[in-house]
Amino acid sequence: MVTPPVKSSPSHSMEALARSAVDEAMARGADAADARIVRCAEERLVIQNGALKESDAPEDFGIAVRVFKDGAVGFAAAPGPYSAMQNAVSGLVRRCLASARDLAPLRRVPVRLAGRADACGTFATPVEEDPFMVPLEEKLDLLMRASERLGGRREVVSRLAGMSLRREEQWMATSEGGSTHQVLVRSGGRIEAIARARGVVERRSYPNALEGDFRSGGFEVVRALDLEGNAERVRDEAIALCHADICPPGQRTLILGGGQLALQIHESVGHPTELDRVLGEERDLAGGSFAAQTDPGSLEYGAACVSFVADSTVPGGLDTRGWDDDGVASGRFDIVRDGKLCAFQSGRISAGRAGAETSRSVSRAEGWYAPPIDRITNVSLAPGHGSLDDLLAETEDGAILADTIKTWSIDQERRNFQFTCEVGWEIRGGRRSRLLRLPTYQGSTLDFWKRCDRVAGPEEWRLWGVVNCGKGNPMQVAEMSHGAAPARFRGVQFVDVGSSVS
Amino acid sequence: MALLEEDHAFEIADAVLAASEADETEVTINCIEDRFVRFGHEGPTQSADRERYDLAVRVRFRDGEGFREAKASSGALDEASVLGALGRAEILARVASPDAGAAPLGGPVEVEGSAPSRPTQDHSFKEKAEWIEAALRRCEGESLHGGGLARTTVASRSIVNSAGRRVHGATSRAEFALTCADAGADAETVGGSASSVSVRCFVDQVDVEGVIEDAVTSAVRARGPADVEAGPMDVLLEPQAVAALMTFTSGMGFGARGFHEGSSFLTGRVGERIFSEHLSVADDPTHPDLRGLRFDGEGTPRGCHPLVSSGTVHGPVTDAFWAKQLGLANTGHSPQQPSTSGPSAGHLVVAEGDLSREELLDRLGDGLLVRQLHYVNVVEPRELVLTGMTRGGVFRVRGGQVGGAIGNLRFTQSLVDALGAIDGVGDRAVRVGSLMGGELVAPALLIRGFQFTSKARS
Repeated sequence: MVTPPVKSSPSHSMEALARSAVDEAMARGADAADARIVRCAEERLVIQNGALKESDAPEDFGIAVRVFKDGAVGFAAAPGPYSAMQNAVSGLVRRCLASARDLAPLRRVPVRLAGRADACGTFATPVEEDPFMVPLEEKLDLLMRASERLGGRREVVSRLAGMSLRREEQWMATSEGGSTHQVLVRSGGRIEAIARARGVVERRSYPNALEGDFRSGGFEVVRALDLEGNAERVRDEAIALCHADICPPGQRTLILGGGQLALQIHESVGHPTELDRVLGEERDLAGGSFAAQTDPGSLEYGAACVSFVADSTVPGGLDTRGWDDDGVASGRFDIVRDGKLCAFQSGRISAGRAGAETSRSVSRAEGWYAPPIDRITNVSLAPGHGSLDDLLAETEDGAILADTIKTWSIDQERRNFQFTCEVGWEIRGGRRSRLLRLPTYQGSTLDFWKRCDRVAGPEEWRLWGVVNCGKGNPMQVAEMSHGAAPARFRGVQFVDVGSSVS
Repeated sequence: MALLEEDHAFEIADAVLAASEADETEVTINCIEDRFVRFGHEGPTQSADRERYDLAVRVRFRDGEGFREAKASSGALDEASVLGALGRAEILARVASPDAGAAPLGGPVEVEGSAPSRPTQDHSFKEKAEWIEAALRRCEGESLHGGGLARTTVASRSIVNSAGRRVHGATSRAEFALTCADAGADAETVGGSASSVSVRCFVDQVDVEGVIEDAVTSAVRARGPADVEAGPMDVLLEPQAVAALMTFTSGMGFGARGFHEGSSFLTGRVGERIFSEHLSVADDPTHPDLRGLRFDGEGTPRGCHPLVSSGTVHGPVTDAFWAKQLGLANTGHSPQQPSTSGPSAGHLVVAEGDLSREELLDRLGDGLLVRQLHYVNVVEPRELVLTGMTRGGVFRVRGGQVGGAIGNLRFTQSLVDALGAIDGVGDRAVRVGSLMGGELVAPALLIRGFQFTSKARS
């Protein structure tokens, strides 16, 4: 182990400090206020080509004060340690009140907060094995064994095995009497092989591309990934992809694996149903949404077999917590039920602007230094029935099974998307046959989800963790999970990328 | 709280070096002061007045031909936090596997220092509110919904290592961005919309009026987009659109790691003319519109480095590790180490050409004027096949005259091919950024046969 990742600071002193900031803001004339103290510790280990190339143990600690004054919002933040935060509180309160006063005349419509933030309590991620107490030697051995199994073939030009462990502790106080303390732990990892043959360079990843896969929980999450046990397969698939044909263009049936479906859900369901996007307040960077404020209850989002559930209480979710950064309790609600849009994801500010009485508890900040904004929570595709093998067996020859994100792009209103997967297989005789590289499919969100005619069952359903969701301006990164079982889509358009690739 | 002065930063770093038990130690201190107001059509939506520190300690223990290496960092600069970071780094490094390819830390160097811009640092919320009010009023006058960002940032970086390297520098940045669109959820698909941005090194250089005028007039002009089928078309890409493409060359194209792995367009092509002779590109932190730090993440000095000269590509950019691996010179393009990401060219400057906007349109003849590209990503790295969407106004050009707007289109296009098909370069380069990160200086580019592959609304 490194050292205890988060130095023990008495909770009562943190709560008292947050409370003092709120009290001072109210005494100085705020209409409402909250304060968050966040302490984060991470451990990141990456072995590249057999050597430890990244070994990082960052810690971050600071306080943010947010005030609501005359219909505007002010926010100021400063770093720790505790003594520095103590000294900073009065200045932060003055600065955020001053900025709110300066900005209030610009508000055409005053900011209104929906609901109340008066919850008190504690929440801690269930952890079986504290990831920061596992000996470093054991972690490195786990990665090194996976890394070695990725090698041994001359075609492999790069191999990588990594893990990331994170613990966040947060104390929050609100002027409505709320006082919460949370300890959130998440763990995960990945392996990746890059192979070169015949002038082609291809990558294969496990359990997912980009940063890998993560769940809330302790080191048991990393152990369950079995990176070593999957390494030779990943290596061999990377090499095989270099020899594979490029997925041909045209219209055909597509079966998406769970990892790719997580991205599909994220981009074409998660983001377009964030209420701040619907209201146009993300227009200046990430964009808006094709969905209108009046669409819930009437918009046909997908086929009848398609339902999406938002759930910030689901075990293992990266956005599973007690309260959001507005201090509102987590919960579960339908976004799409049997194909019909039911609700948007909102925080107190966006819900207030939309005239709702309560928020959906999705307001989150990247850290102590950032103001909370509406973020996708854990949004999952409800399972259907049967196994992936059943699904393949009941699918016609020529269909494509594709999985694992390679690249993704979607328009500013979340309508037109084009995604490329790391790997595809042609379906023949009800099973995977020819391996294909660069399977690239393009579609339009509502049309695509209406083409879904079957979702595999609970035995295939699992959560996939996303740790790189960028949004806001300046951009903030947030984490969330998406649950999915493989699903089938009819008549999907595959794009011709072969003509551009030598 | 101010950014750390050079002496103060060095004093903190020296204390870490003195306490370190490692054979080599490097301390990097990043400081940032940031004030921003984000706004929508109903007024400011978010703001922040904040400062942040990051002190990173990189330690290395010799092991045979290489080093056992690790890093730890702290967001607080008090003695206990800083020494805690050192302790964590040492524990990590002692159990690390040795990296035989690692080069020793570099020794003393001379770099040109820089100080933050005081007016940029002191720019107030009240002043930002004036920018925003002017933008909202102008948008309201045209029945447009405006939104954007007013932001001023100053930052400093200090690097001190046990080999005697001591470098310090500061940067300043000011931005005003405005996006305006007709009301409605699908305003950017069926209505008029446009964005404009001014990103400068100093706050007094920000062209607020120009941004407002450009965004509003373009959005009005973009109303009522016509439906056009996708297919290959000649395009005039405005600088914002060029930035969205060129940013992908920084690491994947010009970086040594991709070059070594064979996934870069440079692999096997160094010294060849693979792009149009109209294209020249350099990595230049000394450019007056960028004014970046004069040293990289390891404190290695850097200056203007040519990457493409009249279409001919030079070798990759390197850092200490990749220079040693490939037997090349260290060009000073390291990220903060240790890192797996490899070197990248983070201060791209696409050289201006000699064509005015009117001359570019005239040469284009019939085609499209594209203001912005959105959510661009890589389909295939070797030929840099990219996909993304047009955004913020796409206009038909007929006989060199800009006509009506068309609906947004998706492209799927090899950037290598596109840069080979440049047929004209604008005579005015500006600093612009992209959604996927990074900023560069670029002029407008006229490209023949750009591949549009689908429509926003089918």
